[in-house]
Amino acid sequence: MKLNYKIIFYFLGSLLLFNGAFMLLSTLISFLYKDGVTGQLSLAGITTLFLGVIVMFFTKNHIKEMNKREGYIVVTFGWIIMSLSGSLPYIFTDSIPNFTNAFFETMSGYTTTGASILNDIEAVPKGVLFWRSLTHWIGGMGIIVLAIAILPLLGIGGMQLFAAEAPGPSADKLHPRITDTAKRLWLIYFGYTAAETLFLSLAGMSFFDAINHALCTLSTGGFSTKNASVAYWNDQPIIQYIIILFMFLAGTNFVLSYFAFKGKIQKALRDEELRLYFKFILIFTIIASVIIYFKADLTESSINHPMVWGKAESVFRHALFQIISVITTTGFVSADYTLWTPFLMVFFFGIMFLGGSAGSTSGGVKVVRHLILIKNGFLEFKRALHPNAIIPVRYNKKAIEGGIVFNILGFFILYMLSFIIGALVFSMFGIDYKSAIGLAASTLGNVGPALGDFGPVNNYAAIPLLGQWWASFLMLIGRLELFTVLILLTPFFWRNR
Amino acid sequence: MKIIIAGAGEVGFHLAKLLSYESQEITLIDVDKDSLAYADTHLDIKVIRGDSTSRAILKDAQVENSDLFIAVTSSETTNITACVLAKQLGSDKTIARITNTEFIRHKEELGFTKFGIDELISPESLAASEIELSLKQSSFTDAYEFEEGALKMARIVLSRSALFVGKTVKEAAKIFPEIHFVPIAIQRFGAQYTIIPRGDTKFQKGDTVVFITTENGGEELCRLTGKANRDIKNVMVLGGSKIGFKTARDLAEKGFNVKLFVENKERAFDIADDLPKVLVIHSDGRNVQLLDEENISDMDAFIAVGENSETNIMSCLVAKSKDVKKTVALVENMDYFELSQSVGIETLINKKLLAANNIFRYIRKGEVVAMTKLNNMNAELLEFEVKASSEICNKYIKKLDFPRSAIIGGVIRDGIGQIALGDFKIREGDRVVVCSLLQSIKGVEKLFR
Repeated sequence: MKLNYKIIFYFLGSLLLFNGAFMLLSTLISFLYKDGVTGQLSLAGITTLFLGVIVMFFTKNHIKEMNKREGYIVVTFGWIIMSLSGSLPYIFTDSIPNFTNAFFETMSGYTTTGASILNDIEAVPKGVLFWRSLTHWIGGMGIIVLAIAILPLLGIGGMQLFAAEAPGPSADKLHPRITDTAKRLWLIYFGYTAAETLFLSLAGMSFFDAINHALCTLSTGGFSTKNASVAYWNDQPIIQYIIILFMFLAGTNFVLSYFAFKGKIQKALRDEELRLYFKFILIFTIIASVIIYFKADLTESSINHPMVWGKAESVFRHALFQIISVITTTGFVSADYTLWTPFLMVFFFGIMFLGGSAGSTSGGVKVVRHLILIKNGFLEFKRALHPNAIIPVRYNKKAIEGGIVFNILGFFILYMLSFIIGALVFSMFGIDYKSAIGLAASTLGNVGPALGDFGPVNNYAAIPLLGQWWASFLMLIGRLELFTVLILLTPFFWRNR
Repeated sequence: MKIIIAGAGEVGFHLAKLLSYESQEITLIDVDKDSLAYADTHLDIKVIRGDSTSRAILKDAQVENSDLFIAVTSSETTNITACVLAKQLGSDKTIARITNTEFIRHKEELGFTKFGIDELISPESLAASEIELSLKQSSFTDAYEFEEGALKMARIVLSRSALFVGKTVKEAAKIFPEIHFVPIAIQRFGAQYTIIPRGDTKFQKGDTVVFITTENGGEELCRLTGKANRDIKNVMVLGGSKIGFKTARDLAEKGFNVKLFVENKERAFDIADDLPKVLVIHSDGRNVQLLDEENISDMDAFIAVGENSETNIMSCLVAKSKDVKKTVALVENMDYFELSQSVGIETLINKKLLAANNIFRYIRKGEVVAMTKLNNMNAELLEFEVKASSEICNKYIKKLDFPRSAIIGGVIRDGIGQIALGDFKIREGDRVVVCSLLQSIKGVEKLFR
């Protein structure tokens, strides 16, 4: 079999064009705020556009035919090419002079991880900070289209289940055509972002901070324009509650939002994954709140906790904020959860593996996979009693085929394996075990803050350069649901039929 | 009345037989030569060989003059097409046998009456509801309800412990002055014919007796015949056919614990998807060891409704040997009927017979409110409504010239069932349940006209 290289390059070229256009948008911000890097940003944008045009020009007579293999390559290399070109603004403006650092920061952006190597965020020009937030937002757009269009097609890890367009068990078809579906979901994504910007501005944030935090919330990214992240607004609970609400929304399936806006609110609320996602957050918040209230002291931290509405509210808010932030893999920081109690540290480490809902912008294993694995686990007991009985796992009242359960089991095992290998490699760079397992879980799940040396109040600048490449790799495979990237590393992918 | 029946299968044949007793003018259409020849030699009817969806054949059968067109071939689409054509060509009323029960449930929405089909009959759903009824009356081998249970028909095989074995009907009545039930038909053990009991008829051990009871008479009857009405909770259903599916679904909805054996794996998965409350097991049910593993001996009832009559009978016998008290078998082959009952399978279901009876009931609409055939007996149970013009109206039963081979079982007056003996005066608006041998049905009908 011959790969259709031309169409692959054509697609990558169009991505560059798209990326360049967004860079010019941040140039506009730079110009409006007169941060002095407008010229460098325009140069980065024009370079990217120019590269894109060249690549597209040379491949414009491609054959319009794409198979699964080209699909895998386009997705993986699409993310890589975006990160490569996306690091140009950092390098051109000298905000991050080192290429490895810049690439890591961009990859962390596009994979909506939110881990940063910037020591002094507030010193970075506004245009570049806006670009940094935009990488999250663009990454989020990519994930939406990935989740509804590409992953189901490739049949990865049970993604067929919740994909709007997938044939099979879930027939919640939004619209017969993928591009139309993508546009509808993007509109919701855009709408939520605009709404959050508005709310945050009304609550007293500056417009620049509001739009940046909105971009980073809806993409479940976690970059902030402040060194202290969202903890900067610890004296303004309303701002934090607004961010909590939108983090929660960003962790739900956007298809459900679409149903809700179409008036089918009942249908959206009946979704099993949404219910479990909500229950997880509720129960975990109660557990964490109680423990923090009685056993921990919020003020024993480098983060300032003014407690403007009293201790109980403050404890509840920070517990809720951190739980949602980690479950949705956003990674905003309002408090340092690693200092609370040893139990809560392990607890937060554990929920890094949960992830938000499928069809959202969050990373991690995803609630639906846990749901099906738990159900399947229980049914195994029943199956042991009735070896010949057909006992299917039910999701949203429909039985799902055994093959999908296997897909999900396979995904889960591969995820755990990647986590273990990821932690091992990190420890080879001399990182202590706690930090290493934290880093592996955090990068693989696209969370952001990890444990130990790389906890919520630290950043990733201390990771050696080689380690940053490894972290970039883990972020990429975690973001693209493992299989999409890892399949490129298998020999039979490249073997001719 | 001129009736055309399309399809000379078992439903068609049985229907033609029932109707021909009434000397109706019947034409039977089928493509199969042998079954037509069989019907031609056994029944007094006219037969036409050909496709019932062909215009020429329908014209040949003089469909334009017919009062009723009944399509009961095994193909649903053929039946629907034939009925539509017949209606267009001038038949008064049409009845189609279908398999998709959705059609019955949404008859109006789908507009069946509009395009010319007056009645839809689904043997599968009839069988499913028959099975459900038989579980409700678990101690009876056969049961039927009139007017939502105001009067019930119950069929019992007399064991030695039954109190009235060896007594005549009159003697039995003396022992139990408060009568809530009356025998209406008896079949002696091993005999082929049915007796309509008179005062001097003696009950014998092994008799199959059909009683009519009032609403609460059922329990009393159970006690007197030495049978306890067991509560049924755990049910095993064999066969993933439409009947099996419907039975399992209905029973599970009523709160029974249902285990359903399905042979085809894909079908099993689909059923497991549709029926979350039913435990679906992928097996053909002939594997006795597997039946044991699934605790067949703890089952209260075993229902075999697979494709194959022989398998159904055999697996019911397996269930019997494992002490399952109530067994129900779907038996398509009419010749097995008698045999199956004598080897101890309590209830037999024949969906074709059910369909034929149901259609017969429809034909008699007006005079006969409800009717059922007594399985394996050549007698019918009929429910009539008494009109002012009826000969029977305002008369005492003992003064009636009632045919010898028929008997009044009970009367439903204002929704309350009563056992009617000689001193009972029948009034207008009463609903009378009569048991009659086939040859007397016409005579009985005359009394109610």
